[in-house]
Amino acid sequence: MGIVAAFRELDATVDAIEDLKRQKISDVTVYTPTPRHEIEEAVSPPTSPVRRFTLIGGFCGACFGYWIAVWTSDYWPLVVGGKAIATWIPFTIIGFELMVLIGALATVAGMFINSRIPKITMTVGFDPRFTHGHYGIWVQEAPERARIVEETLRRHGAEDVRHED
Amino acid sequence: MATVARPRGATDLSPRPNVASANQQLPGVADYEQVDRDIGGSLTPTAGWFGALAVAIALFLWGAGTWTYQIYWGLGNAGYNPPVMWGVYIISFVFWVGIGHAGTLISAILYLFRAGFRTTIYRCAEAMTVFAVMTAGLFPIIHIGRPWKFFWLIPYPNWRLIWPNFKSPLVWDVFAISTYLTVSATFLYVGLVPDIAVLRDRATNPVRKRILAVMSLGWRNSEKEWRHFARMYLFLAAFSTPLVLSVHSVVSFDFAMAINPGWHTTIFPPYFVAGAIFSGIGMVFTIIIPIRKFFRLQHYVTINHLDAAAKLCLFTSLVVGCAYLVEFWVAWYSANQFEQKYFWNRVFGEWWWAAWIMLTCNMVFPLSLFSQRLRRNPGWLFILSIFINLGMWFERFVIIVPTLSHEFEPWQWAHYAPSWVDISILIGSFGWFFMWFLLFIKQLPVIAIAEVKEIVPPRLRSPHPHEDAIDVTGRHQAYEPDTPGEFD
Repeated sequence: MGIVAAFRELDATVDAIEDLKRQKISDVTVYTPTPRHEIEEAVSPPTSPVRRFTLIGGFCGACFGYWIAVWTSDYWPLVVGGKAIATWIPFTIIGFELMVLIGALATVAGMFINSRIPKITMTVGFDPRFTHGHYGIWVQEAPERARIVEETLRRHGAEDVRHED
Repeated sequence: MATVARPRGATDLSPRPNVASANQQLPGVADYEQVDRDIGGSLTPTAGWFGALAVAIALFLWGAGTWTYQIYWGLGNAGYNPPVMWGVYIISFVFWVGIGHAGTLISAILYLFRAGFRTTIYRCAEAMTVFAVMTAGLFPIIHIGRPWKFFWLIPYPNWRLIWPNFKSPLVWDVFAISTYLTVSATFLYVGLVPDIAVLRDRATNPVRKRILAVMSLGWRNSEKEWRHFARMYLFLAAFSTPLVLSVHSVVSFDFAMAINPGWHTTIFPPYFVAGAIFSGIGMVFTIIIPIRKFFRLQHYVTINHLDAAAKLCLFTSLVVGCAYLVEFWVAWYSANQFEQKYFWNRVFGEWWWAAWIMLTCNMVFPLSLFSQRLRRNPGWLFILSIFINLGMWFERFVIIVPTLSHEFEPWQWAHYAPSWVDISILIGSFGWFFMWFLLFIKQLPVIAIAEVKEIVPPRLRSPHPHEDAIDVTGRHQAYEPDTPGEFD
């Protein structure tokens, strides 16, 4: 089962997160109206892997940009005396633009994949107040420990605590 | 950082609006709820907005109708006179691409530099970028006369086995502009997702709520989403920064790769990039100053923000002015008589009036921004921005028309005058741009809600040891609406 708590204050939310961690309660989702370093430090998550998508996307884009320019120039050569068919300086423009294009789109895809969006349903473990001004904590825990979680959240000043199955 | 600078004359320590301190950038904004309320409230349509939209649509329809006329009767109606075969359409293409550059500068480059004043103006500038590049992209298609063949520049497998020439600056343009449009639109949209989620959870109309739910992709403001979002935003900004520099450099190659006097110069890429950013900041002022006034968002887009943006405007104006002067110097120092004659003709020949409009609007008037009083005067900034827009359009006119009409041999020299078709399509492009912009500002937040919340101090149970000015309820200093200049 799950418990959703809404907090008004940032420091109360941070205290609750740290207390839950001390109690070895790990399945915690935190909501915040805006990114806050205090919450990030309390959650201490791993580094986002989005950067790998960026690197791979950018590399593939640059390779494709150079390849299409070189391949099409060889395939349909425009022969000018003394000039190379495949010239890397002008083709760098194509390589650069496609590096940016594919790299940027791969970065966005990386964010979508890692954040698990788009989401079809968002009614469980969420409250519309979390996009307004409230901080939120959603804990999934065994029924026998739900009472401990609820007490912890209320002790740290949760304005509202509700159970969801 | 500009926003934390105390303006001259403010020697007292009493609370006053828009004088940012280390922990208060927006003294008139008390809490997160107010941010949602104020910015969400600006989405309600007004009679003035409907009127402006009607004018924009009318101008767009006039331009679209004229384009239809041109397609039917041919490109000969466009005022071209050989060898002046680039005219208002290419001038306007470069102008609109340039307008788009400030958006990426403000949203990406200033983000990387952690410039705080960008927070409340970048959304507007980003939207401006997307719509400006959409507008710019139309002009080469209009210019080719047979718009249904524009796709020949795109490399795609075809039965003729013909591919575009990747050594041509026109093909580079296609890649640069389409990449820029795609990345700018992506940057705008993903930045909007958390704000659309705010609107979704506040919406009462079920149809609107459903549409916003789809657009927000189920965003829930979870810490995990924010973590990946922040990393993505950083990398998009890092990609956009060289992109913005490359795009107008590529546009400048359209000219610099030719051997015509006045075009064949290595100064063009930085000169074009600086000019583009300068013109874009001008358009940001043209847009943001009425928005902050009519949407009553003066406590978000503060005088400090305008002051900082005006300093950027002044800096880019000085760079552009320097480039103008260096062009003359290069022509003299090269001892190339064609270059020298061209630049003499530029300021004293047939097109002297266009050159002097350019020099006055882009070099002389912006010098007024050395005055702090004028930098902090929204009325003057708005008037100046109109001059900048005018001056930057004429800059592109001065680059294109005098060169083509005054080439190497006197028998090549020709006159050029834009026809009513050129002018109508130019006016229609403004209608097209403002139509999209006006639709945008009443459907989606014109100021980034989530980022503004980042600079609003959070509500705390106990005061932070380093933020003594914030009391336990997170309340700010009182907002004083009667400060001189604030509501001009």
